[in-house]
Amino acid sequence: MDTGEMVKQSLPLLILCGFGAILTGGTLSGMTRVLESIPGLIVVIPGVIAMRGNISTALGSRIGSAYHLGLIDADNLWSEDLKQNIFGSLILSVLVSIVIGVLAYFTSLLLNVYPNPLELILIVLLGGVSSAIILTALTIIIVYIVFKKGYDPDNITGPALATIGDIITMVCILGSAYLVEVIL
Amino acid sequence: MGMYNWRVIIRNSLPLLTLTAFLEIIAGQILQGGEKLLVSIPLLLVCIPVINSVGGNLGSILGARLASALHIGSIEVNFRDTRLIENMLVALLMGLITYFILAIGIYLFAVFIGIEAGDVDVLEFIGIVVLTGLLLSCVIILVSVLTALVSFRRGVDPDDMVAPIVTTTGDIMGILFFFILLQIFGVGI
Repeated sequence: MDTGEMVKQSLPLLILCGFGAILTGGTLSGMTRVLESIPGLIVVIPGVIAMRGNISTALGSRIGSAYHLGLIDADNLWSEDLKQNIFGSLILSVLVSIVIGVLAYFTSLLLNVYPNPLELILIVLLGGVSSAIILTALTIIIVYIVFKKGYDPDNITGPALATIGDIITMVCILGSAYLVEVIL
Repeated sequence: MGMYNWRVIIRNSLPLLTLTAFLEIIAGQILQGGEKLLVSIPLLLVCIPVINSVGGNLGSILGARLASALHIGSIEVNFRDTRLIENMLVALLMGLITYFILAIGIYLFAVFIGIEAGDVDVLEFIGIVVLTGLLLSCVIILVSVLTALVSFRRGVDPDDMVAPIVTTTGDIMGILFFFILLQIFGVGI
């Protein structure tokens, strides 16, 4: 438990991920107009970002384990195991997005805020699923590169995916909010 | 036939993901409570993901270290263990340094991009972010250590528990502390 080593290895990463989060915050600060025009939108943001982080890092670490177990490698990436993992992550994103949208709607009603349920659930679903597709593709690309270089995916995928994932997810929520606003 | 099945992945993950979704909605409702202030001073909106991300990462790093140390047996399940105390203090120091650097980073970013800062001046802003970070780091570190120790004692792998628990507590407490400090500093009043 050498603390000097913790500072040397973790502090730069902590600060770097923080700078990534400033970009996420910058995107959020550009959303003031949609936040005002769509009641309940701000409620879903921490949930969608946390869901994305949880599902993507779990996918990344399962792929890491599969690699260590010798189930997949760079030349044999597109295996049945990978397909099952991708499909599972996408279905999870759909289910949890619906849970978040529904919970945000009903808890808002309790607090005298009246969102449009269809609009809110549609934004979460579109934002959750589009970010899932982008991040799953990105995870596979990162894992492929990591395999090719011979690094351990466990050391790379977690922090890299978490930081990039937050930015992409925030942009996806913003895009979905604009899209749903136009459609409905 | 492979080792993974999508139905099993969903069955194993859905309960915890639903629970975290529920807790994150609490964080979201606190945000909605302060939405008017946040929207009127967009600089404050930039801070939300930063405060939460640093808190979550700090807790996860410490938690992962504790989990490994507990597995190896290099620390004990005991609050009188000096190595444990030392790790907690160093984590707190890392949190403070990170929040200080990022407070300056956020302010410079906002000035550079042209994000409105309302009546918040730079020193006041750094004070609010660093104090929020101090309170949040204390809570996160305690939660991280307690989660690691309790799950280890009960025979659950701390690696599975610490990250989701510290990120969700961090999201709720980070937003709460931020609003409390904005009140204390009288921002937007």
